Amino acid sequence: MTLPDDTPYPPPPPALSGWPQPHAEPYAQAPRRESHGRDPRQAPYGHDIPQDSPYGYDVFSYEPYEPYGQAARREPSPPETDRHGGDLAALRSAYRVLRRVSTLTALGSFVVYVVLSCCAPDLMGSKITGELSLGMALGVLQLVVTFAAVLWYGRSAQRSVDPLARAVRERAVRRPAQEAGVAR
Amino acid sequence: MNDFGTGTQTVVLVLFTTLVTLTLLMCVMAGPERDDLTNFYTGYRSLTPLKNGLAIAGDYISAATVLSTTGIIALAGYDGYVLAVSTALSLVLLMFLLAEPLRNAGSFTMGDVLARNMPGRATRIASCAVTLSATLPFLVVQLSGAGSLLTFILGIPHLAGARTTCIVLVGSLMIIYAALGGMRGTALIQMIKIVLLLGTSGTVAVLVLNRFDWSPDDVLRAAQHGSGAGPAFFQQGLQLGTSALDRLDFASLQITVILGAACLPHITMRLYSARDVPAVRRSMSWAVGTVTTFCLLVIIMGTGAAALVGSRYITAADPHGRTSVLMLSRALGGGTGSVGTTVLYAAMAGTVFITLLSSVAGMTLAAASSLAHDLFAHAVRRGRAAPRTEMTVAAWTSVAVGTVAIALSTLAQDWDVAVLTTLSICIGASAVAPALTYSLFWRGFTRTGLLASLYGGAACALVLMVFSKAVSGTPSAVFPNADFGWFPMQSTGLVSVPFGYLAGWLGSRLEHRRRAADGLETRRLYEESEARLLAAAE
Repeated sequence: MTLPDDTPYPPPPPALSGWPQPHAEPYAQAPRRESHGRDPRQAPYGHDIPQDSPYGYDVFSYEPYEPYGQAARREPSPPETDRHGGDLAALRSAYRVLRRVSTLTALGSFVVYVVLSCCAPDLMGSKITGELSLGMALGVLQLVVTFAAVLWYGRSAQRSVDPLARAVRERAVRRPAQEAGVAR
Repeated sequence: MNDFGTGTQTVVLVLFTTLVTLTLLMCVMAGPERDDLTNFYTGYRSLTPLKNGLAIAGDYISAATVLSTTGIIALAGYDGYVLAVSTALSLVLLMFLLAEPLRNAGSFTMGDVLARNMPGRATRIASCAVTLSATLPFLVVQLSGAGSLLTFILGIPHLAGARTTCIVLVGSLMIIYAALGGMRGTALIQMIKIVLLLGTSGTVAVLVLNRFDWSPDDVLRAAQHGSGAGPAFFQQGLQLGTSALDRLDFASLQITVILGAACLPHITMRLYSARDVPAVRRSMSWAVGTVTTFCLLVIIMGTGAAALVGSRYITAADPHGRTSVLMLSRALGGGTGSVGTTVLYAAMAGTVFITLLSSVAGMTLAAASSLAHDLFAHAVRRGRAAPRTEMTVAAWTSVAVGTVAIALSTLAQDWDVAVLTTLSICIGASAVAPALTYSLFWRGFTRTGLLASLYGGAACALVLMVFSKAVSGTPSAVFPNADFGWFPMQSTGLVSVPFGYLAGWLGSRLEHRRRAADGLETRRLYEESEARLLAAAE
């Protein structure tokens, strides 16, 4: 299922040797469970889980069975939950910063380019060298800069987002480990 | 039309047959087991990032992109350059904004992403309807173009019968690829296609530059001369005009492309087949790199076509210039009948053919998957369909979608339906993009808001398009002799994109006010799934 990649990425963290193997289960299996694994499993387990079961955190609990109080479910391990929430908040804001900076730069530069092309055709049509006009040069420059932008995005995401995501994931795997074993 | 010897045509025909045989064989061999949904929809997520990236790029660069963009550059110069830039940047935007949360939220289709915190049949039906309305026009425009393109390539006289035969042939192949190959089979074809495409385009671009002794100045001067437009060739305005409204129209079209082109369901669907978040990031890096390289090559090829073929000959063959890339490869090879011409023309024709086949197959697969997974398995059977049944249904919906597309394309082949490409992208930007961005990033988004942005955005784009200048009232419109338009633009994005976002926001506010409990429930589901959305944790 998780065939070894030709270029392993990111470098396997020391704690999880042989990375996309057993520990990566949430990655590898998440969507499959969500799709058709849901029905056979949720009929028996979904309704029988005690309210304080950590299973309640599982994502596929969105099936419209009766909403047991969310607060009750959060009770069992407050410190753990808080730390989990803290990690998640940090991850959320890290993603938000990354997303806003990268998207606004890409979209903004292009919108400025289009607006300039439309509103200042003389400026964009002015020759900079030989027959090459400013507008054409800017257009080609945007394409060339794209390569650098993509590299930059990959680096930043690896640095700012991936460690936080890994922390959130590990906590989520560790917490319902016993319960998930039963459910599976 | 096509004035060279039977030798070239024989080579082209042999090449086509070989390509079809090889890809069919590979597609069937890579195809999924009969009862394995994950394999059919995502190919087990076993593709390496490089391969998946090439497949994304292959899906993204459709035949319409290759042929129309080159044509627009050859005929309108600067406007085409901007289009090439916006095409490349659209995928960049998808990578930066949506790719990672989409991978975590979805499993097979867009409906899975949206139903994550708004379960229910209405969500599934709406996402299926919008998927169909965004992919079918794109499919029809390419299939109906396939008729005239293949008759042009093979030098068959322009007869309705010949074109219909070509459409049916390409359509049947497309159904076979989609139904038998599934995600994995089509990924393989997309990879072959993108490698061929980059190879031939690179060769043609190098030959163009070589013809002018690697002097960009000479190419640009020759292009100005060949286009007959002079310095205006390097200023905005040749495509749509230079009045204030035309310029606004142009800006609106470009921004619609950057927002909508990469959101189309057949492209986002490829993201779900990445194994994890780093893998999707790397896949997208490869895809963006490939697409950007290709856009640079398209700029060179389009300018070369203007310089070496000349706009008079290009418009004589096709008013939109869609055959310019083929004419360029013929002009570059040397004299008529020479070995160079035969090889280069055959290579370009084969590339265009496989591009056409793979892009229509990808779109058919996306539409069929949505029908089978969203409409049949979740809306009709309420998620109780057996995997084996769903697989069978998916195969048959591929046949159904393909048949409908063939029928529509045959009907539309005598009309100038290039406007349908714009319609697809407008629906992508005004319905799909708002629904996805709200659903992924706004916890206050509700079901009413979702339905409002999906149906509202799509309907707004559709209605405005029908009454736009591109459909009636101008010589280049679909109905040049009728005039029932009141929307004075060629594309609808300027109005329909804000409308889609506004509808989603208003719908959500309304639901929060009227039925606070439902709104809170949706918010709770969003927060519960946030760990999975951001970190792929469960």
